[in-house]
Amino acid sequence: MPIEKSDLLQGTLDMLILKIVALGPVHGYGISLRIRQISKEVLQVQQGSLYPALHRLEKRGWLAAEWGESEKGRQAKFYKLSAKGRKQLASEESNWKRLAGAVVNILQTVE
Amino acid sequence: MTWWRSFFPKRASDEQMNSELRFHIEELTEENIAAGMTPEEARRRAILEFGGHEQIKEDLRDVYRVRIVESTIANLKSAFRFIRKSPSFSITVILTLGLGIGANSAVFSAIDAILLKPLPFPDGDQLMVVEQKHVKVDNPVTAVAPVRLEEWNRMNSTFQAMTGYFTEDGSETSGILPEKVTQAAVGPRFLQVWGVAPAMGRDFSSEELHEGGPDAMLISDRFWRRRFGGDPGTIGKKLRIGKNSYTIVGVMPASFLFPNRDVDLWSPVPADSKHAQDRRSTWYSVVGRLKPGISVEQARANLATVQAQLGRQYPETDEDLSVRIKPLKEATVGGARESLWVLFGSVTLLLLIACTNIVALLLARATQRQHEISVRFSLGAGRGAIVAQLLTETFVLALLGAMLGLVMATGASSVFRSLAASLPRVEEIRLDGRIVLYSLGCSLVVTLLCGLLPALRSTRKNLSGGLGQVSRTQVSTRNPLQWLLVGVQVALAVTLLAGAGLLLRSFRELGRVSTGFDTSHILTLEISMSWGETADMKGLRQRTDRILEALRSVPGVDAAAISVGVPGVPYEFETELKLAEGRAEAEPKIIAENRYVSASYFNTMAIPMLAGEVCRETEGAPGVVVNRSFANAYFPGSEAIGHHLVATNLGYSGNAEIVGISGDAREAGLERASAPTVYWCAPVAEPGSYFLLRTENGPMTVAESVRGKIHEVEPTRSVYDMRPLEEHFSDALAENRLRTILLSFFAVTAVSLACIGLYGTLSYAVNVRRREVGLRLALGALRGQIVKQFLFQGLGVSLLGCAAGWLLAAAFTRVLSGMLYGVSPTDAVTLLTVILAVMIVATFASLFPAIRAARVEPMQVLRDE
Repeated sequence: MPIEKSDLLQGTLDMLILKIVALGPVHGYGISLRIRQISKEVLQVQQGSLYPALHRLEKRGWLAAEWGESEKGRQAKFYKLSAKGRKQLASEESNWKRLAGAVVNILQTVE
Repeated sequence: MTWWRSFFPKRASDEQMNSELRFHIEELTEENIAAGMTPEEARRRAILEFGGHEQIKEDLRDVYRVRIVESTIANLKSAFRFIRKSPSFSITVILTLGLGIGANSAVFSAIDAILLKPLPFPDGDQLMVVEQKHVKVDNPVTAVAPVRLEEWNRMNSTFQAMTGYFTEDGSETSGILPEKVTQAAVGPRFLQVWGVAPAMGRDFSSEELHEGGPDAMLISDRFWRRRFGGDPGTIGKKLRIGKNSYTIVGVMPASFLFPNRDVDLWSPVPADSKHAQDRRSTWYSVVGRLKPGISVEQARANLATVQAQLGRQYPETDEDLSVRIKPLKEATVGGARESLWVLFGSVTLLLLIACTNIVALLLARATQRQHEISVRFSLGAGRGAIVAQLLTETFVLALLGAMLGLVMATGASSVFRSLAASLPRVEEIRLDGRIVLYSLGCSLVVTLLCGLLPALRSTRKNLSGGLGQVSRTQVSTRNPLQWLLVGVQVALAVTLLAGAGLLLRSFRELGRVSTGFDTSHILTLEISMSWGETADMKGLRQRTDRILEALRSVPGVDAAAISVGVPGVPYEFETELKLAEGRAEAEPKIIAENRYVSASYFNTMAIPMLAGEVCRETEGAPGVVVNRSFANAYFPGSEAIGHHLVATNLGYSGNAEIVGISGDAREAGLERASAPTVYWCAPVAEPGSYFLLRTENGPMTVAESVRGKIHEVEPTRSVYDMRPLEEHFSDALAENRLRTILLSFFAVTAVSLACIGLYGTLSYAVNVRRREVGLRLALGALRGQIVKQFLFQGLGVSLLGCAAGWLLAAAFTRVLSGMLYGVSPTDAVTLLTVILAVMIVATFASLFPAIRAARVEPMQVLRDE
């Protein structure tokens, strides 16, 4: 069952976006495709929340954006990670891992 | 240069948004076509999947919109929640700020009313006091002759109008008993200059301003209510003052209190009256209204030209006169300005101490909230949003504090009125919109001052990584900033206390002064007189003698005298005198204070005669007494008695022989050493003369019999202002006393705040280090060592604060130097006492947390781990 956006912790989407953009410059459509592919279709991000998130991250200076040509020669807006974004991603990842580890720990202990 | 752009969020244009979203839809469409749909179907599905294009655009715009209102409301809500959740913290902050802002607003309300607001007359800043001054002497400024006023008014080009006034006390006798009234005799154009119309009735008519015209008068609102019960039919009634009967033509508004708040009646003096033609007469205090747009300098230059012209025209009387102009407001406010700014400086220091205190509290608080803040960060809140929320909390606290402060300020304005009734314009002090705005402004400044640093510190990035980290194993968090704040508070408190200490000592010195006369057991009183009576000097002298004889006959009265001005209360009348025998050029000019007293004055005031005899109340050449300072200054090593003094402009003609030398008395104010003084014998009482009675017992015990006796011999005169001489002194010192009381109050508050700060910070440090202490105790540390360690930490910071405070005080107390008597602004004894006092209080404030630290039970703490 795909997890709807509302079930995603706020901040998790941001982290996913940062992680995907970290692989190289990519446009919004590409990001939505990647999220679907990587998460094996479990997470489905509504386009409606993807773009505001992108713009919010850009405004915070974690993403940088540039207009360029897509693979098929169309004009598209490409996002890439800024130095600030890289730091943020690192700290969010470690936080997330600690949290996830703790949750897993609890689940195992309770079992 | 585009650095400033970083202040504004980058904004995607509408078109860019469109093309970005369009790209996505096109890609989706292609994907669908690839999956085998028809192009139309593919596009329809793509749009459906993508969601509302416009909705998304709106969401995107939202990203760039700063939602001030919503976020403010949310912040306010969370601020109130925060305050409810931590009541003791909030109450401490609100009380501290309430005290700080309240004291500040209260002093500001006085400054606003007295110094900042224009005088309560239309275009009050155009009103100027105009004085004439003899160029050859330092002083005096003399009153202006009516003819000269008319000439100034006619010949100048910078004033709309000028007028003059003098006051005298009269006895109104149309009622059953004579009633003392204060009457202002005013020159032409009086109301025109003030720009004030009567609240009822009319201004003087032109006939009433001419010799032989009807006698008219305006009455004050106060007198109207007191005497006529506010009867609207008062206009047209008659009052009898002395020999004249006046018709009431108008009632002035309640706010019109000029020349002073005691004036009951205003009556015009016709400019063409035959008494008013002498250029030598000294009648009027002059006030003029500048034309719009004319500066004081222009008016000064203009009147100088006018007076120079008069000097050529009337060389005998006008050659040596110059004109001085100063704004009426300045003249009214006088010396209160200095005191008020000193008070304002003190309350600002106090507010700073309060702020510092709160910064320390908030910092301690922020450490406790570190966890909450980390959680918010990891949930994606921006640093700006968190800072805004923290600041909103501080602002709400500051606002509540300001409200409390306003309540305090309201109370303070009545304290001002009762403590310093002699302060100019004190009746204008009240709470109004400006004060509310000021307090609001204070709370904003306080919010930034107190809130910004803690908010920024607690949202630093390295702290946000603290989620999940518990400070359990940390030995201690040393926080140099908090200790710095405590030091600053102590320093500021020492500064204030030093100022208060100096004022207190100076006040005490003043009480110990040897005045040169005996001021206890003296009753002073005034008897209504008018200037008109001085026309018949012989008759006046007989009446004066009769009154004095009657007073001496009252049982319990040992001696009676008259004096112009009250001994020991500032009243300066300094002039230059010449010596009839001539003086060498090289010798200093003779400048002396002049006092007008009856011969019985020396006996009554117990001023010893050192040589010669008391002054002669003779008709012929007057004999004068000089004091010892005079003799020492101008006749060093030679005999002063027998020389003849010539007064250049005192109205006395002829040579006055020096017949006696008296001891020095502090005539011109208890805080001033006696200046060279000449006592002129004035055997007559004039308006403003004081009768001085030496009584056997308490001065007021004879009050009723004295009143009765005067009524017996002078039934048409009223007796007023009857009180002990020493009461006049405390009036003269009222401003001094107000300053001292308020500054002491502020200083004590400051020291208490600083100690609360020290106590709070040390307690916090003890709390944080409980585990460390427990561990050390478990490892065998002695409790005494623990106490010593914390105590010395508190004392060390206080000592550094005191040292800094000493330096600050050295700078601050210099401001006070003009207000001190008998103590130097850098008086080491005062400073050391202050520092000692602060250190003692600091010891107590440190001792309690230190003892608490030593009471830690090691086992319990370690078990808590």
